[in-house]
Amino acid sequence: MKIRNLLAGLLVSAFAASSLASSGLAGQPAPDFALKSSTGQNLRLSEYRGDVVMINFWATWCGPCRQEMPLLDELYSRYQRVGFNLLGVNIDDDSSRAMAMINELGVSFPVLFDARKEVSRLYEVDAMPVTVIVDREGNVRYVHQGYKPGYEQKYLDQVRALLRE
Amino acid sequence: MTRQLLMSVVAGLVLAFAASLPAQEAVAPDADAASRDQFRQLDQDVQSLKKEVLDLNRDLFLLEEELLFPANSQVAFFVSMDVGEYFKLDSVSLKIDGKEVANYLYTDREAGSLLRGGVHRVHMANLKTGGHELVAIFTGQGPQSREYRRGATLNFSKGIGAKYLELEITDRVKKQQPEFVIKEWE
Repeated sequence: MKIRNLLAGLLVSAFAASSLASSGLAGQPAPDFALKSSTGQNLRLSEYRGDVVMINFWATWCGPCRQEMPLLDELYSRYQRVGFNLLGVNIDDDSSRAMAMINELGVSFPVLFDARKEVSRLYEVDAMPVTVIVDREGNVRYVHQGYKPGYEQKYLDQVRALLRE
Repeated sequence: MTRQLLMSVVAGLVLAFAASLPAQEAVAPDADAASRDQFRQLDQDVQSLKKEVLDLNRDLFLLEEELLFPANSQVAFFVSMDVGEYFKLDSVSLKIDGKEVANYLYTDREAGSLLRGGVHRVHMANLKTGGHELVAIFTGQGPQSREYRRGATLNFSKGIGAKYLELEITDRVKKQQPEFVIKEWE
């Protein structure tokens, strides 16, 4: 029984290690960037140091992004007052489409436009959506590729844990 | 009888313990003082170690800069603002000899720092000695909150030794317009 538990533990830790390794950025300082936002202001990641920051890369043509964004907005509205920030990074070439979708979905978190794809390259974004969670020290702690129903619970647990640190 | 014997043994032990107490009390302050000294020493050690780390960090930073940007080919570009009533800075983009080398977006906080007298090093480059052309493009909001985009060009000569160029945004009160000037630091 003990050996079985040990093997199971080893498997779990190996899986966790491989998912961290595959993200590449986890455990590294989050690369800094500044982009124009939907409000017209320029926002820079390093100015949020001290807060837990979620960076959500999305596009208008991505179905799961549309599904995920209202759930992220709920998370943002709930935890914003206790030091949580959410930056949506849209990678469409045409920001007017993104603006239309933001208005349609009624999301309140700031959306930044990465039409030149510089920031998505910096974060090695090769799936849609990609959600990166950065801790108060400015280090990448979690990287989630894609979205499936139920991921929002993972986000919630991770954000809450980081807020408590 | 046995009970009496036991009582006397217990009384003896209590007396012996009571007698040993003052001796212990006398020892305790010394031990406290010693541990306080040790703690102070440890604190000093930590402080000096911290200072050494900071010094080392500074030396490494300078060494890295010297290696990456050797003094004889180094050119640094700075952005500054004076007054800024007629211009709200959004971004600065730099082209050297026709090639874009920097594109910096300023947040409200950064633009505010410039207005309060801060100077921002927007780019560092290694350039060969000889003539070069710098084109700086400033975007932002001009008078009456209109979108504003202006360029400034400077042909400069890079000699031996580091060179510093300042991109200065000032107000031209007579024309009620911003002015963009590139200056060479002597």
